[in-house]
Amino acid sequence: MKILIYEDEKWRDLLPLTFIKCVFEIRCGYDLLIDKIVAALPEGEKGLWVRDYIKGLTAKRHNMPVNDTSFFDEDILIVNGRWLPSPADRITLSEEKVVMCKGDIVYGLIKKERVQKFWNGDITKFLSAVKEHIPSKEKPLRVISYPWDLIIYNPFVLKEDFKRYGKNGIKGEFHPAAAIVGDAKDVYIEEGAKVHPFVVLDTTHGPVYIDKDAEVFPSARIEGPCYIGKETQIMPGANIREGNSFGDVCRIGGEVEESIFYSYSNKYHDGFIGHSYIGEFVNLGALTTNSDLKNDYSSVCIYLNGVPTDTGSLKVGSFIGDHTKTSIGTLFNTGTIAGMMCNITAGGILPKYFPSFTWYVNNKFMKGYGLDMMINTAKIVMKRRKRELTAEEEEVMRYAYNMTEEERKEAIRKSRKTSK
Amino acid sequence: MDYKEIEARVKKVIVEVLGVDEEKITTDSRFVEDLGAESVQSLELVAAFEDEFDIEMEEDVALQVKTVGKAVEFIKKHLEQK
Repeated sequence: MKILIYEDEKWRDLLPLTFIKCVFEIRCGYDLLIDKIVAALPEGEKGLWVRDYIKGLTAKRHNMPVNDTSFFDEDILIVNGRWLPSPADRITLSEEKVVMCKGDIVYGLIKKERVQKFWNGDITKFLSAVKEHIPSKEKPLRVISYPWDLIIYNPFVLKEDFKRYGKNGIKGEFHPAAAIVGDAKDVYIEEGAKVHPFVVLDTTHGPVYIDKDAEVFPSARIEGPCYIGKETQIMPGANIREGNSFGDVCRIGGEVEESIFYSYSNKYHDGFIGHSYIGEFVNLGALTTNSDLKNDYSSVCIYLNGVPTDTGSLKVGSFIGDHTKTSIGTLFNTGTIAGMMCNITAGGILPKYFPSFTWYVNNKFMKGYGLDMMINTAKIVMKRRKRELTAEEEEVMRYAYNMTEEERKEAIRKSRKTSK
Repeated sequence: MDYKEIEARVKKVIVEVLGVDEEKITTDSRFVEDLGAESVQSLELVAAFEDEFDIEMEEDVALQVKTVGKAVEFIKKHLEQK
């Protein structure tokens, strides 16, 4: 039996997080969805199936076959890449069956005969045929349908992941003038990590995990559950409220609550970020702040692919795509989506939707300096953190640029019209 | 549209965006050094030229144009290609 982790058409509902990342490369808790999915799989050769424009980049990032049609030559276990398994979830199917959750296939075992019957090279049609013809059962599993689902699940997943990783104690440096409030068993400080004087780790509401070579500077307060990734720095005096996930090599200051920072992103200075997902290589200028609660306490509406969508949640912050940058003093409205590679400067009440690759300056959308210069900036930014922009990454960025051209033009056109 | 008409309209846009006196603008005027265009204003100029002449310019190429005279020629070329 072969095992295929796939992206379905709903990757679009996870934009802007998925412009240059697969759905299973999204972060929640201590790691990515794919790390949790792989832990739930039985033995067998594993492969990935992703949208065409991202397959080269995916092959470079993962040591698995990508879009290999030979997977459809035998019995196959298909697994939705948007599945967020709990540590207890294990796939143990032995007969042909599909496990569903609210209309989504979560995983399913399909026998060779039917695989060959259903497969015609189109994954969407294949999944439709599976849904229609294979016996199914409904299970209350977690599937990420929208970006805000990640924020809702993250505090729970952080607690699960602390148990899943199974580590506690202090292997790195913990200054004698730092303190733990709550159960010290709920703290893990990995080798090479450093906690400076007057830092408070509060485990009253959940565990705190500080990964290798991370550094927490004096007077920061970190409330659990919280994960601080490798080489990430928490700046002096930071107020890290509960429910945060910081990936590797981030710089985090100011106040952050129930948010996910992918990796290599900076929020160096004061300002509040809450109930938000911040992509990779994002830079938030000093005092950048987002609202995560409306003044009338009604549920937050988000422009999902430009369409107003009710999240059903009272607390929703911002979702910011990879390589986007904000100026000092940027104030994001409740439920803002900022695409990838935007350049956003402060000014009045900002729009709730920023198409990718736009510049927002003096309350107007602009084209900015053009894609080549944006890519050049990305190269400079990545080099500062010892990362190279690969040819595959650049190709996918260029694809995403073309893909978003129409909505970008429309925003610029409307912006010019209203500013006249 | 002839060169003179384009030049007049280019100058009008520059006055609006940069707030400089029209008599100070010559075809040799450099946007940054002589007319004081800051980086954001350069972007606004490109947008304003696109609107004024109903054309679309490649932003990275347009931003390489350094003087008023070159801008007039650049726009003229775009209009001829329309």
